[in-house]
Amino acid sequence: MLRALGSQHLAEPLSSLLDTPMQPTATIHRLKAAGAPPRLSAFAQRADRHFKWLLVAPAVLLILALSIYPLLFSLVVSFINYDFQVPGHAFVGLKNFERVVFDPVARWSLLLTAWLSGISVAIEFVLGLLVALTMVRSFPGRGVIMSILIVPLFISPVIVGQAWTLLLQRPFGPTNYILTQLLGQEVTIGWMTERPWLYVSLIIADVWQWTPFMFVILLAGLTAIPPNLYEAAELDGVNAWQVFWAITLPHLGPMMLLALTFRLLDAIRMFDTIFIMTGGGPGTQTYTASYYLYTVGFTQFHLSQATAGSWLFLIFTALIVALLVRRLLKVDPV
Amino acid sequence: MNDRDKRDFQAGLEAEVDAFMRGETTRRTFITRFGQMTGMLAASGPMLGMMTDWAVAQQTLELADATSPLGQAQAAALKASKEGPADGSAFRAVEAAKAHSGVTLNMTYEAGLQALDPRNFSGPMWEQLTGMKSNVVELSNPDQYSKAVAEHIAGSGAYDVLDVSPAWTPSLADGGVIAPLDDYIAKYMNPADLEDYHPLYKALPTYKGKIWGFFDDGDMFALYYRKDIFEDPKMMEAYQAKFNAKLGPPKTWEEYAQIAQFITDQMAPKVYGAGHFRKAGSPGNQFDFLQQYRANGGKLFGDDMKAGLVSDAGVKTLTNMLAANKASIPGNNELDAVSLWAAFLTGKVAMIYSWPPSGRMAANYSQSATAINFIPQSQIAGKVGYAVVPGNPEHATGYNKALSADSPNPEAAYLFMQWICSPPVSLARCMLPYALRDPYRISHFKSELYGALFPSAKEYLANLNNSANVGLLDPIMPGAQDYFLSIDRMCTAVWAGADPKASLETAAAEWNETTDRLGVDSQKGFYTEFLKLPGATADNTVEKLGMAVAL
Repeated sequence: MLRALGSQHLAEPLSSLLDTPMQPTATIHRLKAAGAPPRLSAFAQRADRHFKWLLVAPAVLLILALSIYPLLFSLVVSFINYDFQVPGHAFVGLKNFERVVFDPVARWSLLLTAWLSGISVAIEFVLGLLVALTMVRSFPGRGVIMSILIVPLFISPVIVGQAWTLLLQRPFGPTNYILTQLLGQEVTIGWMTERPWLYVSLIIADVWQWTPFMFVILLAGLTAIPPNLYEAAELDGVNAWQVFWAITLPHLGPMMLLALTFRLLDAIRMFDTIFIMTGGGPGTQTYTASYYLYTVGFTQFHLSQATAGSWLFLIFTALIVALLVRRLLKVDPV
Repeated sequence: MNDRDKRDFQAGLEAEVDAFMRGETTRRTFITRFGQMTGMLAASGPMLGMMTDWAVAQQTLELADATSPLGQAQAAALKASKEGPADGSAFRAVEAAKAHSGVTLNMTYEAGLQALDPRNFSGPMWEQLTGMKSNVVELSNPDQYSKAVAEHIAGSGAYDVLDVSPAWTPSLADGGVIAPLDDYIAKYMNPADLEDYHPLYKALPTYKGKIWGFFDDGDMFALYYRKDIFEDPKMMEAYQAKFNAKLGPPKTWEEYAQIAQFITDQMAPKVYGAGHFRKAGSPGNQFDFLQQYRANGGKLFGDDMKAGLVSDAGVKTLTNMLAANKASIPGNNELDAVSLWAAFLTGKVAMIYSWPPSGRMAANYSQSATAINFIPQSQIAGKVGYAVVPGNPEHATGYNKALSADSPNPEAAYLFMQWICSPPVSLARCMLPYALRDPYRISHFKSELYGALFPSAKEYLANLNNSANVGLLDPIMPGAQDYFLSIDRMCTAVWAGADPKASLETAAAEWNETTDRLGVDSQKGFYTEFLKLPGATADNTVEKLGMAVAL
């Protein structure tokens, strides 16, 4: 058909092209003639192929310098002597890890970290959810109240600690005075030196600052639930409690887990408020893992022991993170 | 522009606009911004340099009213530096330092009030005299040690002059972080100026027979009490009736707790008998325990370098401290040094023992500086008496000026140290209202100008001198931070209800672990060196060694 077509319309030129065997360079010559780029040398082709690596190299090097190198260096430090008071950097094997594992203060600080962060986050979650449920519906002044509610999020934890110290510290803080007036009998609580009040104080400060975080995340989750579900439930005459269990909770599940994961990861690093409010005391009663590592590293200058402790703490944290993230990934949106 | 150019331009513009609308960065904007960034980076270096120069130039010499005692002391310092006497350390330092004009000295200071002296007074005056600039690096107290060591390890030469705690001297000297001064002293210093140091402080920078700095801050604890309460006839009568003894500044720790409890019983809630800075991490616990423990005959270490804490002296000390706590202002165990000052200055507490600024604040002298206006105005000015702390007072840390071994300008740095610690200059510095530098030279204690700072300044100076005569030094050896931390933990645990004996055992175990970590033999060597210093124990105070200074 082509031959016939050629004979009819193209006549000689096309038939001659089809009859003679095509040269491999013919196309290139024609492309050249059409203004195509010249053929590159082998070196140029190679350079062109790898140019992308040159472009990303600065970013990769920066990441390596800022994260991988310190991480590897800290791993090295945890196996050597790196102590401002003991000269030399001799290899000491697992000695630094052993010191941490057999230090009763380290074990206590880990327990306290789990306990304090667990309780704080649980309270923050419940309060945050209640506030979010309250604020999800529109009412006059909602915007102002929401703005006020999230203010603690923007305050440095050090300032939060200082503010609560001023409120609770005897003899200048007004808390005991106010409680005395309210209860009608003298209140002499040592908020930062007596058990269990010192833990109560730390939890109050943490809850005050971080409940808004829970609130914001959960409110975002609540507003994303399709309103037609609630309308259908209303038409079916379902009560509020059933609506919460059957609609709100399942839809909010992933956001709840997300909020809990983020907050828990932050809470186990609790340091600033403790540093300001109790100084780790009395004794070592308010040593969290972070405070313990700070003390060993920067008060006692046993840097290699503190680094080994940090690695152990990182492993514990990674386990928790892995569990939570696994759970988070398994959640299917309803 | 021909048609083709116009088309290309139009196409390029459309691509730019489309990319902008999509929020993308085009190649053109990337190149433009990259160029801008590079330009800014290139320009930022010189700009930063100019700004730094400007900031340094802003440091102006602040001088007090020339007729005031401080103004006269400052004028005297300037005169001694410019005109001599020719053999004075200040004059000799300035003359020699002129050869280093243009050099910038980097010096570490504790952040905050301590750094105001070199920023407002001594730094600008030194520049005026010698042409040498000063760059004050403010650090927290622990960082004054760790940064110095870190920079030494890095070999950066970042610092020339270091402000260090005397307790760190052995570690820093053995670690090569600081340099000995003996050769410079022989070359430049008037030996009489070394003899002007109070004997308790003179030997503090000495280690293994060499001088590793100049002592520069007499942090002697002293007792400050309300004379109006102690001399109130009704109170004296009641005390006499109850204890068959005269009410006065306590001589023993048992008497201290007894008087504190008596005043609390008589006057609370208006006034309480005593107050202490007992908050965890506040250094009051370690200083207080160490002074009382050694005054009670306690030994820090045995011959085998095992901790000596678990002893009758240890239990007695903690028992006395508990009794004092019980007699104190509510919240005593939550106070830090500043809160305690606030309680004393507002008249809520009848007795405190603390650092020397207590006396200057009580007289309302310090508060004349705006920098220190976070301290309340004194409501007890003119009502405060001074006494030596029962037994032996603690010299609670202090500061040495030390020469960084990595200084690129060691001689210039040394000359600055000699000048700033010389008798006339150091006197003017100690008299600055915001200063936390406290008198330490014999000439300071005898100074008529200092004695005229506030009405009872002469008594105040005499008491500081008398306290130094019987004062005790903090242990000067590696691991001091660890030993102190264990004491702080022990004390605060006891305040919270832990058993004193068990707490002493825990602290002793921690001390032994620290000693083992640092090497028993090595620590024994350091401890032996420490014991040679006057004031190392209650048995070899300056007074007991026959070197007491009488004013």
